[in-house]
Amino acid sequence: MTVSTLSTEAVIGPDLARLWKTRHDKERFQLSSLTLLTPAFGLLIILFLIPMGYAVYLGFTNLTLVGPTSVQWGYTGLQNLSRLRQDTTFWSSLWVTAGFVGGSIAGVVVIGYLLASLLMRARTWMRVVVGGVVVVSWMMPAVTAGMTWYASTIEGGALGTLTGLHNTNFLDNWPLVVVTVANVWSMTGFSMLVMGAALRNIPSDAIEAAIVENASSWQRFRRIVLPLMRPTVIAVVLLTALLSLANFGLIYIMTQGGPGNSTNILPLYSYQQAFTYNNLAYGALIGNVMVLIATVFGVLYVRVAAKS
Amino acid sequence: MLPPAAPTQREMPPENPATRRSIARATATHLALTGFGILFVVPMLWLLLASIDSNASWGLEWPHFSLINFHNVLTGSLLHSLWNSVVLAVVSTAIASVTGVFAAYSLSRRRIPFKGPLLLFVLFSSGVPLAIMVIPVYEIFSRFNYLTILPTAIFLSVTSLPFEIYLMKNFIDAVPRDLEEAARIESASTFQVLRRVVVPLAMPGIAAASIFGFVNAWGSFVVPLILISPADQQPAPIAIYTFLTVPKPEYGNIAAYSLVFCVPVFILYAISSRLFREGFVLGGGVKG
Repeated sequence: MTVSTLSTEAVIGPDLARLWKTRHDKERFQLSSLTLLTPAFGLLIILFLIPMGYAVYLGFTNLTLVGPTSVQWGYTGLQNLSRLRQDTTFWSSLWVTAGFVGGSIAGVVVIGYLLASLLMRARTWMRVVVGGVVVVSWMMPAVTAGMTWYASTIEGGALGTLTGLHNTNFLDNWPLVVVTVANVWSMTGFSMLVMGAALRNIPSDAIEAAIVENASSWQRFRRIVLPLMRPTVIAVVLLTALLSLANFGLIYIMTQGGPGNSTNILPLYSYQQAFTYNNLAYGALIGNVMVLIATVFGVLYVRVAAKS
Repeated sequence: MLPPAAPTQREMPPENPATRRSIARATATHLALTGFGILFVVPMLWLLLASIDSNASWGLEWPHFSLINFHNVLTGSLLHSLWNSVVLAVVSTAIASVTGVFAAYSLSRRRIPFKGPLLLFVLFSSGVPLAIMVIPVYEIFSRFNYLTILPTAIFLSVTSLPFEIYLMKNFIDAVPRDLEEAARIESASTFQVLRRVVVPLAMPGIAAASIFGFVNAWGSFVVPLILISPADQQPAPIAIYTFLTVPKPEYGNIAAYSLVFCVPVFILYAISSRLFREGFVLGGGVKG
C-alpha cells in the first residue's frame, strides 16, 4: 500500500503548482475522482461516521424511547457512566461476551483447521459431502440457524433423541455453551475455506524435504505448517471475534439473552436496554463500549490484512 | 462471505506403497470426517424432517410426509414478507454495488490525496460490523419518519459497502490499464471507460461483491426488526420470528418457511463459487 501525500496545490501553493503541472511523469488529481468517490463515501459518512459520533453524544444524555424524556432530553454529564459502573448486568455481560467470543474463536479455528487438513487428504466424494455440509451450515441465515438449533437442543429435540437423553433441555441447562457451539457451527465453514486455501499454498517441497530429513509429523506441523499459517490463523481469529459480535441475531432467536442473563452478550444487552427497557441513551452507551472493543479487533485486523 | 476454495486441488505427494500405516491413516481421516459430517448434519435434521411433516413438533420424529407446509407458507402475508425481503436485498445491493464500483475504480486507478488512510478506513470498516450502529441510526430515522423499508435498505447497503469496495478494488487492480488507455485515446469519457471496459472485465469481482451484499441484506434480522416499523413492510426473518410468538406455533410451517428462505442464499453461493475458480482473496470474510 502506498503512503499518500497531500495534494500538491495544498502544500506548495497555486503558483508553484502551475509550474508543477507541466510535469507529465506523474499522475495528477482529477476532479472526476471526487465525483466517483462522493456517493460511496457520502453514504459511509452519513450512515456510519455521523451515527457513530451521534452515539457517543447520546451515551451522555437521558434520551428514552417513550415518555417525556423521549421529546425533551439533554446532556446529563457522567450520570450514565456511573450507572454503568454499578450495573452488575453489564459486568456479567462483559464476561458472557468474553466466553462467547473466546469459545467461538477456539472452536472456529481448531475445527476449521482440522476439517481443512483432513479434507485435503480425503477422497473427492468425501470432500464434496462433508465440505458441502459445513458450507451449508455457514451459509444458512442466522434466523434459520437459530430456529433449527433451538428445536434441536430443547427438551425432546434432536440432540436429546439421538443421545437418548429425552428429558434433557440442553439449551436451558448449558445455555452459553449451546449458543457458542451453535455460533461455531455457523462460522466454521468460512474458517475451513480460508485455512484450506492457505494450506494448499504451503510449498509441497518444504514438507517433502522435512520427510526426507525424518521429521515427525508433529515436527512438520510445528516447524513448517504453523509458521506459514500464522498470518491466516491470526486473520481468522480476529474476523471470528468481529463476526461473533455481529451474529447476535442467532442468540436473540435462541434465548433472547436468557435464561436470566446467561447468554446476554454486550450487543444484545445494548439492544435490550434501548428497545425493551426504553433507555435509548443508556443502550447507546453500552453500544459504545462494544464499538471500542470492536475497534481494537478491527485495528489489529487492518494491521494483519494490510500486510498481505 | 468468502468465496469458496478453488475446486482443483493440488495433488498431495504420492504416499509410500500401500503400507499398513498409510491405510490406517486414510481410514482414520475418513472416520474423523464422517464424525464431523454427522455433527454438522444433526442440527439440520429437524429443519428437513419437520418441513415435510404434516404433524410436526419441536421433536425429531419420522415425518407424516406431505408438502402441505410449503403450500401453506407460499401464500398470503408470508409470501408478501418474502417479497419484502427481495425488495430490501435488491435495493440495498444495487446501491452498494453501483456506488462501490465507482469508489473502487477511483481508488484503484486515480491519484487521490490521503489514499492510504482512505483504504485503511475501508478495510477497517469492512471488518467492524456496522450493524452495531443501529441505535443512533434508529434515533436519526425516527426523527425524520424514515422507519420504513427503503431507508433501511440504504442503511443495509452501507453495512456491506466497505467490503464490496475492497473486493471490487482487488479485481479492478487486475484489469490491464492498456485497454483503458486505448479507450481514452478514442476520447471515451470516464463513464464510458467504466461502462464499456472496466465493468465488463471486472465482472466476476463485481458479481461476487454484489452477491455478498445481497446475502448480507437478505439474512439480516436485527436491523429490519428495529428500523422497519410498518408491519406490512417486514421482511421474511421477522415473519419467521413472529411465528414463534403465537400461542400455538405451526412447527411444520416454520421449518418449511425457514428452508424456503435459505434457497436464494444457496443458489447465489453456488454461482459465486463458480466465479472464484482461480482461488480467493483473504481480506474480509464478512457474512451478515
